[in-house]
Amino acid sequence: MTPDTAHPAGDEASAIDLDDERAKVDPALFEADPAEPPFARSVLTTPLHLVTSAESRTNRWIRWNGYTVPEVLTDLGDEYRALRGTAILADHSPLVKTRISGREAFDYLQRLVARDLSLLDVHSSVHVIFCESGGRVLGDGLLFRLGNEEYRLVTEESHLAWMAESAEGFRVRVEDVSASIAMLSLQGPLSASCLAEAGLEGIEKLAAFGALWGHIGGMPLYVSRTGATGDLGYELWTDAEDAPHVWRRLMERGASLGLRPAGFALRELARLEAGLPRAGQDYLSAFAAVSAADAVTPFELWSAPPLATEKPVFNGGRALRRLAGERPFRRLVLLRAESFEPASLSTVLCGGRSVGAVTTAGFSPALGANIALALVESASLEGNLSVTACRREGLSSREALLPVRILPAPAWNSARRVAIPAPLGL
Amino acid sequence: MIPENDVFDAIVVGGGHNGLVAAARLAAAGKRVFVAEARASAGGAAVTSEIAPGYAISAVAHLLEGFPRRIERKLKLAKHGLRYAARDVATVALDRDGKHLVLPRSRKQFTAFAEALPKDAEAYRRHVARNRALASLVSPLLGECPPALSDSSALRSFLRRQVLRAAFKGRDVLPELLRVLPEAIGDRLEAEFESPLLKAALAFDATLGGAEGPYSPGTSFRAILREAVRMRGRGVMLPAGGMGAVSDALVAVIAASGGEVHLETEVLGILVEQGRAAGIEIAGGGQVRAPLVFSAVSPRSTMLDLVGARHVETEDLRELRHAVPRGATAKINLALDCLPHIAGLSPELHAARLLVVPSLAELEEAAIASRNGGLPLEPAMEVLLPSVADKSLAPEGRHVMSIIVHNVPGEMNGGWAGHREALLQRVLRRLGDYAPDIPDAVVAGEVLTPLDIDTKYGLAGGDWHQGDIRLDRLFSLRPAPGYGDYEAPVPGLWLCGAGNHPGGGVTGLPGWIAAEAALERWTT
Repeated sequence: MTPDTAHPAGDEASAIDLDDERAKVDPALFEADPAEPPFARSVLTTPLHLVTSAESRTNRWIRWNGYTVPEVLTDLGDEYRALRGTAILADHSPLVKTRISGREAFDYLQRLVARDLSLLDVHSSVHVIFCESGGRVLGDGLLFRLGNEEYRLVTEESHLAWMAESAEGFRVRVEDVSASIAMLSLQGPLSASCLAEAGLEGIEKLAAFGALWGHIGGMPLYVSRTGATGDLGYELWTDAEDAPHVWRRLMERGASLGLRPAGFALRELARLEAGLPRAGQDYLSAFAAVSAADAVTPFELWSAPPLATEKPVFNGGRALRRLAGERPFRRLVLLRAESFEPASLSTVLCGGRSVGAVTTAGFSPALGANIALALVESASLEGNLSVTACRREGLSSREALLPVRILPAPAWNSARRVAIPAPLGL
Repeated sequence: MIPENDVFDAIVVGGGHNGLVAAARLAAAGKRVFVAEARASAGGAAVTSEIAPGYAISAVAHLLEGFPRRIERKLKLAKHGLRYAARDVATVALDRDGKHLVLPRSRKQFTAFAEALPKDAEAYRRHVARNRALASLVSPLLGECPPALSDSSALRSFLRRQVLRAAFKGRDVLPELLRVLPEAIGDRLEAEFESPLLKAALAFDATLGGAEGPYSPGTSFRAILREAVRMRGRGVMLPAGGMGAVSDALVAVIAASGGEVHLETEVLGILVEQGRAAGIEIAGGGQVRAPLVFSAVSPRSTMLDLVGARHVETEDLRELRHAVPRGATAKINLALDCLPHIAGLSPELHAARLLVVPSLAELEEAAIASRNGGLPLEPAMEVLLPSVADKSLAPEGRHVMSIIVHNVPGEMNGGWAGHREALLQRVLRRLGDYAPDIPDAVVAGEVLTPLDIDTKYGLAGGDWHQGDIRLDRLFSLRPAPGYGDYEAPVPGLWLCGAGNHPGGGVTGLPGWIAAEAALERWTT
């Protein structure tokens, strides 16, 4: 039973007394919502849950930050072909969005994150990382400057408690606005065309990491040229109420261009091909890591981490200045395993000794090979690496040692990602 | 008042004795120093004040227990007016029945001690020998900058050196040290001694200045630490003219080297420009600029109030905020119109440190009471009659009495309004047990609760250590991890107060080591 059929229209009409001059008031309008105890709800749905449910042909769901999101809507292969050939639309609302505003928001962020923000203009964004006092990574995310004194930090995990603690001494307001903002990720070579088709003018002039206000079908949205696919892509930030309408509108207009809905599994595959680590998967936030060995420094995760050691004071600065001169103990590298069919990869070996672990693995259709992000001891990076692979055949499983080599560049990194103007059409 | 365009090499915020020592050291090295002290006289808690016309007394601290010879000699304090009224002041534990106990320091005294307590004499000799052996391990560490926690090789070689030195001292020293570190002094004393008075006196000395009772872990190590501090000095000394004489001599050293001590100059903030300390901002407008800023006020208020949270990393803030200085000691200064008669105490011992201590159990109870915001039923105290040795302090035939009361809550339940009088009455009643004429002899006096010591003398929380003396807040961890090497993470800002290694007491060491470290950095 859908909401439309719950109350047959006939009942409604008969309940109205035409002779009564006073307006009928529904008493339910004035009843306070029953208070929900905090954290009572542990299964959350995104504002786009109904539309993605309608698209699902597989009923495969996955939990992401407590939200139920589709893992695969139709078929991962089809979705991947759409992503690399035309465009896909996905619901990324479970990302954590934190609004930072106030007179000293800039000073606050400058102390909070590792990179220098003085060149960040209004309506643009940068990749930021933030560390604890030992220089170990707490998280990374995308920082948008929405106005002179207003910023939005988008992260994989919530850091609200730590951010609020860091706010001492600053005239700044830090609030979690995740629930009120929905995010639609439109990615692929035709994504700019889809937006133009949907009525967003001037989209092709938007530079990578830039953002603008626009509207689709009368609904305001904030469009940023961002994404983690290694290709052209946009992220659309809208009010939670508007999000389903924006989705439908885009799907309607984009259908002729080959726009397809996609799920979480494709997001993981795309970022693996682009070689981007994800918090909670490829590294653990320093506060969440039970063992100190599980916490990583920015130099281990990124070859050129976004940090400015010359900045006077920022969290972790003291330790990072020291670490900058040292060789990192481990490195996160993108590995390519020679094998023609998908296998599950786990331990990285060098000369029979375990030297690292695979954090994310997948079969890259672009390379036709298994690729994986792995944290590997930097002393062994020059050696002959292999990885343990497990392949299931029916009820039996076969373990094998696959030779791997380190990919010097991401599996997918298209020039379209940063091209100006963004290509409209193929 | 303050020269506008003068250029200084260094500014010292807070003219307590540590600030003055740091300033004097820098001035002696030829640097132009500017000392900003908010109060009308320099010295912080090492000052002499007049409690009644003609009666002068050391207002807060009243003895020099471990003022290092090195500092005294290098700064030529004797040349600048520092004299001693008494050297090597004895310690006497008062007994209600008149069988007072002199803690022996010479062979002759030990014979008397052994006669009084035949069963404990041998144990006491062993106890002292052990404490000395352990203290001699710790003592050198109190005079040097502890290794930085982030420098693992320095830390490793530091620890290795300590282990080697301990092994060199003898086979038993290292196991003994490992045992002493977490031990409660009460347990140790119960096991070693019989005399309740001796036990209480030793426990009192180990816990004085902190909020812990004798059965708290870590108090045994405090006794070692105190012994180690004493080793750096020349025994317990009584400066002529009260503790203010020490501060006056330090001010004279600074003045003689061209430094400036500005009184009634309240510092509102430390200027930070491009991440570096650049000077200070003074109440009433105006700035003083210098490439180096030393702060002798508590690390917590230096970083949170003067520098500002924005220049500090989030986790450092958390560490600093947690280290709340909480004093547990009150000071009572009395003017007496006669020399109190303490039955059974020989006249020359009237100038000694007199300990009024209840039993171990009562000491523990007092510690618990004070932690809960109540006054101790049986206050334990250190009593001094400085005017016996130093006639200049009181008119002929009259005397001043300086009392440090242990286990007085930093935060009194219901406020201090009515309780100040209650504390005084309890102290007087207790003193009356030993010298019945004291209550009637009082002509004037003042009671300084931890709160008063904070507001009047600027010791945060009234805590003379500016943060607990515990293993987790000592050496490289003092005042917080990452702040152990005196230079704060803001370049050019040095912390040089009692909140830093090696802690409180009138030792001048934090100020001295900070200044030495900064000078060393200067030349390289």
